[in-house]
Amino acid sequence: MTRPFLSIRAVRKTFGAFVAVHDVTIDVPKGEFLTFLGPSGSGKSTTLYAIAGFQDPSSGDVLLEDRSLLSVPPHKRNIGMVFQRYTLFPHLSVAENVAFPLRVRRRPDGEIKRKVADMLALVRLENFADRHPGALSGGQQQRVALARALAYDPPILLMDEPLSALDKKLRQEIQAEIRRIHRETGVTILYVTHDQEEALHLSDRIALFREGRIEQIGTGEDLYLRPASEFVAGFIGNSNFLPAEHLQTADGASTIRLAGGSIVTGVKATTSFGQGQNVRLMVRPEAFRLTPTPTSVALAVEIVDTAFFGDRRRVVARTAGGDEIDVRPTSDAEVGDSTATSGQRIFFDPASAFLFPA
Amino acid sequence: MLLDYDRLGWLRVALVGFTAAVAAFLLLPVVFIVLLSFGSSRWLAFPPPGWTLKWYQQLLADPTWIDAALTSARIAAMAAILAVVIGLFASFSLVRGEFRGRQVLRGLLLMPMVLPVVVFAIAIYAFFLRIGLAGTTVGFVIAHTILALPFAIIPITAALEGFDKSIEDAAIVCGASPLQARLRITLPSIRIGIFSAAIFSFLASWDEVVVAIFMASPTLQTLPVKIWGSLRADLSPVVAAASSLLVGLTLCLMIVTALLRRKLST
Repeated sequence: MTRPFLSIRAVRKTFGAFVAVHDVTIDVPKGEFLTFLGPSGSGKSTTLYAIAGFQDPSSGDVLLEDRSLLSVPPHKRNIGMVFQRYTLFPHLSVAENVAFPLRVRRRPDGEIKRKVADMLALVRLENFADRHPGALSGGQQQRVALARALAYDPPILLMDEPLSALDKKLRQEIQAEIRRIHRETGVTILYVTHDQEEALHLSDRIALFREGRIEQIGTGEDLYLRPASEFVAGFIGNSNFLPAEHLQTADGASTIRLAGGSIVTGVKATTSFGQGQNVRLMVRPEAFRLTPTPTSVALAVEIVDTAFFGDRRRVVARTAGGDEIDVRPTSDAEVGDSTATSGQRIFFDPASAFLFPA
Repeated sequence: MLLDYDRLGWLRVALVGFTAAVAAFLLLPVVFIVLLSFGSSRWLAFPPPGWTLKWYQQLLADPTWIDAALTSARIAAMAAILAVVIGLFASFSLVRGEFRGRQVLRGLLLMPMVLPVVVFAIAIYAFFLRIGLAGTTVGFVIAHTILALPFAIIPITAALEGFDKSIEDAAIVCGASPLQARLRITLPSIRIGIFSAAIFSFLASWDEVVVAIFMASPTLQTLPVKIWGSLRADLSPVVAAASSLLVGLTLCLMIVTALLRRKLST
C-alpha cells in the first residue's frame, strides 16, 4: 500500500469542556474527492479549518506527504480554499482577484497573465476579467473564488460549504462544474457539506461526521447500501424505521417480530443481537413494492395517502403497530398498478433491509 | 406604517413648513455672515448699502490672518493623521479583539465627544502647564487628536464591522502574511471609512475653539481663536470674511467627501 498523500491523525479539538472533534483519523490518497458530511456542529468544518491552519488542533497531527503541517503558518501551507461566504476582494477586479495569490508569490507578470487567463477559462468566466465582484452573481463569485484558489496549483483544495448560499438550480449547475474541474485538474479536494445529495453527487468517498467523530467513511454506495449505524441510514437517503423484537439469527439471516406481530425472516444481520432484544428494522422507501416478488415478504398496512409525482408515486402507509411508512415504488409497472392494488399489503425483500439496535 | 409620509394629508404641509423653519433657523446666521462679508458697511449693517470685496483684500493682506489659517490647517492635518492612525489600531482591537473590558475601552475612547469641552480644556491646560506643553504646537496637536479620536474611531469601526473577516482569511490562505492581508486587502476594503475618519477628524480640529483658546499663545493662534479674539477687540467685517472662508472650506470638504464616497462605493 502506498503512503497516504494527506494524513489526518487523531486530530482532536476542544473548546473548554466541549470536544468539537474527537480523535479523527483519515488518510486521503492523492487526487481523491473526499467529502466531510454531517449535521451542523458535527466537527466537519473544525477539522477542515485545522487543515487550513485557522484552528490549531488540541492534539493530533496533519501530515501532507509525511510532513506535518501544524508548525506551518496558514499563509505558507500553500493550500487552496473556497469559503462558505463570498470572499472575493471587493476592491479588485476578477482578474486581479485570481492574480492575487500569484502576486504575493512574486511570480513574473507574464506567467501571472497566462495563469489568470487559464484559470478564468477553467471556470468559464473569460469575459468577466475586468468586472468587479459586486457586479457578479453569487454563483459567478464562487467560481472566481475557485479560480483564485486553484491559480497557484495547490496540492489540496478545501471547500467549506461553498454552495450553501446559492439556490438549488444554481447549486446543481456548479456541482457539475466542480466535478469537471476536479476531473480536469486532478487536485485533491476536501469538501464540507451538510447536504447528502451534494455529497453523493460529488464525492469519491464520504466521511460522515456525528458529534465530532466519524460515524462511517466510504463511497456513497457503501454509506447508502451498507450503512454502519442507524444514524448513517437516517442521514443518507430516506429511511423507514420499524420497531421490532429480535428472535434469532442463523447463517447471517435474522428473524424478527415486528411491533404489529408479523414475523419477518431472512433480514441481513450486520451485528449480533440477543434473543428478545429490541431492534429497529430499516427499509428504504424505494425497497417497498406494491406487488409481491419471489423473495419478498408481505406487510399488512393501511394506505393513508397516495400522491403522484410524474416519474414516481409516493404512498404513505400505516402498519398494524401504528408506524407510518414512506413508500416510493420505482418500477414503471408498479407505478401504473398502484391504484389497482387493494392497498392492504406492501412487500419488501428482507435482504434489502437492515437491523439496528433500538 | 402609522407615520407614512404619503398618508399624512394636510399635516404634510405643516411638517414641510416646520422642517423648513428649523433649517432656516440653523442656516440663516451663516448666510447673513457670508452676505455681510461682502457688504460695504463698516458696522455690519444689514441690508448693506453696497457690495465690496475689500474685507477679503484686508484679510488676505494681513499676515496674522494668513498665519492663523495656516496654523489651523497644519494642526488639523497633524491631528487628523494621528487620529486616523491611532483610530485604526484602536478599531482593530475594538472590533476584532476578545478581551475583558472591550466595551469599557470603547466608551473611554469615545468619551471626548460627550465630555463637556470646557472641562476637558481646563484639565488638559492644567496638565500641559505642568509639563510645559501649553502654548506649543505639540500640545495643540495632542489635545486636538484626543478630541478628534472619536470622529476617527466611529467610521473606522463601522467599516471594519461591515467587512467580513473571511475575506482577510481568504487572502491569508492565498499566501499573504497576516500583515500583508491587512495592508493589501482589509485597508483598501475599508477605505471609505478611513477617508471619512480623516475628514471628520480634520474638521473636528479645524473649527474647534474652546480647547484652542486654552492652548493658544500670542504666537500660536488658530483661525477660530483669531476670529474670537478679533470679535472681542473690534467688530470688523474682516471677521465675517474670515468666518466665511472657514465655512467655505468646511463645506468644500463635506462635498468632496460626499462625492468620493459615492464614487468609491460603486
